Amino acid sequence: MSQHLSSQQISMWMAGERTPEAELHVRECADCAAELDAFARDLALFRDAVRQWQVPQPVLRPARVWPMRLALTVATLLLVALIPVYRFAHPKAHPQLTAADAALLEQVDVEVSRAVPRPMEPLLELASAVGEPNNDARKDNHAATQHK
Amino acid sequence: MDPAAAPGMMMTAMERPAPATADFEETVRQHWSGIFRFILASVRDRDAAGSLAQDCFFKAYRARDRFRGDCSLRAWLMQIAVNLVRDHARSRRLRFWRTARETAGEINVPGREASPEAQTLAKERLRAVWEASGRLPERQRTVFLLRFVEDMDLLEIAAATGLKEGTVKAHLFRALQTIREELRRPS
Repeated sequence: MSQHLSSQQISMWMAGERTPEAELHVRECADCAAELDAFARDLALFRDAVRQWQVPQPVLRPARVWPMRLALTVATLLLVALIPVYRFAHPKAHPQLTAADAALLEQVDVEVSRAVPRPMEPLLELASAVGEPNNDARKDNHAATQHK
Repeated sequence: MDPAAAPGMMMTAMERPAPATADFEETVRQHWSGIFRFILASVRDRDAAGSLAQDCFFKAYRARDRFRGDCSLRAWLMQIAVNLVRDHARSRRLRFWRTARETAGEINVPGREASPEAQTLAKERLRAVWEASGRLPERQRTVFLLRFVEDMDLLEIAAATGLKEGTVKAHLFRALQTIREELRRPS
């Protein structure tokens, strides 16, 4: 092979496809050897640059998943265990208590429907009693008019 | 396809057994950097890479009983990573390219060039490879990264990608052609 390696042959060489003719030529041709060497150095530069990237420490998910599953299981069991406690803490209403509640509500209704609160009722009666003479005077005047 | 459905799952019991649960932490320690690097170089988004690398080992952990060792453990893990990267690229294609442009400046020249001129030249060439590799079609980029960053041989890449060796070579050739053209383009 007398001609220099073509661009395609250089790429094929780097890809691992090396014919005996190409190998012979590279041994004899300093230019092609230098060309291959430069390309290899560029690729090595790229490899080294990528390899110097800072790599974070791995955090294994299985180690995180299992505590989460455990926590969920414990929470579920706690909920199941608390249901009877909640039910006993809120017993069903007894019939006697229900009747007492109804009586209390009725009493409240009566109190609410009063015109004035119970302690003020005597005052209301007193005001009524004081107003009665005025009524008698009005009646007297009416009778005198009729008499005339 | 389930990303954890690596070829090792279809092998006979005569072959190498899966890493035991107790050994899995050691497996992670050994392969975490390579898997993370490959994913980051592929998706070019550090947060996504971290998440996908975690997913990769999580899937491997769950599928560890089905690994029979028809290929190396690294190739098996890398196959899961390749599938995760593929799914990620499909679902977030637009975001992927936007992010690729935004974070392209993250790559730096390793500090081995002596003079400032050599540093500048190396930086230009590195950027050319970085940008060209970012524009490669998905399979070409995957094959290129596995070969020239992770130093995997063609058979390992074939196992990791599910491609035939000849197809791997063809993708690698096209990827190298593109990158070489970018390197030869005057800056």
